[in-house]
Amino acid sequence: MKATDAIIQIKDVYKYFGQLCALDNINLDIVPGEKVVVIGPSGSGKSTMLRAINRLEEINKGQIIIDGKDINDKDNDINAIRQELGMVFQSFNLFPHKTVLGNLMMAPMKLKKLSKDQAEKVAMELLHKVGISEKAHAYPKMLSGGQQQRVAIARALAMTPKIMLFDEPTSALDPEMIGEVLDVMVNLAKEGMTMVCVTHEMGFAREVADKVIFMDKGKIIETGTPEHFFNAPEHDRTKLFLSQIL
Amino acid sequence: MVDKSHPINIVVGDGAAIPVKKDKGLVNAWSISFFGAIGCIIYLCLSDPDMYWEVLKFLPDGILVTFQVTIFSIMLSLVIGLFTGLGRISDNKIINTIASTYVEVVRGIPLLVQLFYIYYALGRFKYLQISELPSAIIAMGVCYGAYMGEVFRAGIASIDKGQGEAARSLGFNKTQTMFMVILPQAWKTILPPVGNEFIALLKDSSLVSILAVADILRRGREFASVTFSYFETYTMVALVYLVITLMLSKAVSKMEERLNYYEGY
Repeated sequence: MKATDAIIQIKDVYKYFGQLCALDNINLDIVPGEKVVVIGPSGSGKSTMLRAINRLEEINKGQIIIDGKDINDKDNDINAIRQELGMVFQSFNLFPHKTVLGNLMMAPMKLKKLSKDQAEKVAMELLHKVGISEKAHAYPKMLSGGQQQRVAIARALAMTPKIMLFDEPTSALDPEMIGEVLDVMVNLAKEGMTMVCVTHEMGFAREVADKVIFMDKGKIIETGTPEHFFNAPEHDRTKLFLSQIL
Repeated sequence: MVDKSHPINIVVGDGAAIPVKKDKGLVNAWSISFFGAIGCIIYLCLSDPDMYWEVLKFLPDGILVTFQVTIFSIMLSLVIGLFTGLGRISDNKIINTIASTYVEVVRGIPLLVQLFYIYYALGRFKYLQISELPSAIIAMGVCYGAYMGEVFRAGIASIDKGQGEAARSLGFNKTQTMFMVILPQAWKTILPPVGNEFIALLKDSSLVSILAVADILRRGREFASVTFSYFETYTMVALVYLVITLMLSKAVSKMEERLNYYEGY
């Protein structure tokens, strides 16, 4: 595989929070359609890496190239690059002053210049896909956590991104709601979406991941297929972590 | 997830007392003051119509001017306040420093001195000669803009950081994020203190009478200087101010209730 095939290239990336090295020489290539699951203990830098991919965190050193464009290059329009990157947050972050439909239509209408009818059509299709079309005119506060997160996924998809980033999408949910969100993500994976997902859901990692990455203290410790990972992890740190959570 | 059901309350001093929600009964501080003031006005006008009724008839023009000054000043202060508030949270060091310095300077100079300065001191320069009413509005707008800036800053700061991140990750730029996502939510936190500032500004607008702007107080002075009935005139002036500010404070508290009602969305 040539390096240029990769839609996400992370090259020698460092990120510091004061003295703390949050990302320590990260190198990672992700090809289109690949599903990458990032695991690791809290504070390992996995969320920071994900957020660095769409520049919610500025990196101190190195390069991140999305679809051929260096995101830290001043000549590249970061807002245009971000439209290619859908992001789903742990705390949903739906806009509370807009209805579900409003949340989905806002960005396509404003940024892609879709007409109201077009945007509504796209939005309703997506809500149907995540199984929540009956709540189109409800406000986010009226929805359960699982429903809100499904709306958040639909909102990100409304911009037809090439890549979806998930930052612990199920960590803030009650246990009985995790399944409905994972189902949506599994379906998305089956459609061939390129996905980078920070999660503690090992079942999900087993089912959809092409590549599992284990991070600790800002470093990528181990990379491999789910089979390799859960059956024969190489590093002691990985073994310890897996024994703690499985 | 951050619980947004209890937004940060912004306390800005010197507004009229806004009725506490617990004062639901018929007899409370607001109703005693309000109906007491109305009762006083009616009683005085009936008992001595030659004097009190004449004063009262003389004041309405002044009430209009007072409202004119207050409304234009508050609009100016909202515009200045928005930019000041945005400047105060800006990452840009220069903009941030300018906004902060403006707030410090304006807050450190008495409003009356600012009024004098804009009308008399700057009047020395040919191109800065402004007539009384605009001078008054500019001075009050600039002064209250500094306070309003703090209201905006606190309102914007009360919105969860995730809202901005969600908007930015969809591809909105900073300005779009501010005006389409942050400010529409911040209004709920910003509006009540703005109402409070409106009442404070209305009271402070009595200072402009010193520039010969014919507001309520100025009209009173004119009446008193002809009739020499200072007690009757200023009693009436005080009662009229009281009735106006009490009505406004009631309106602000009603607005607050409505905002709280919408809190659940």
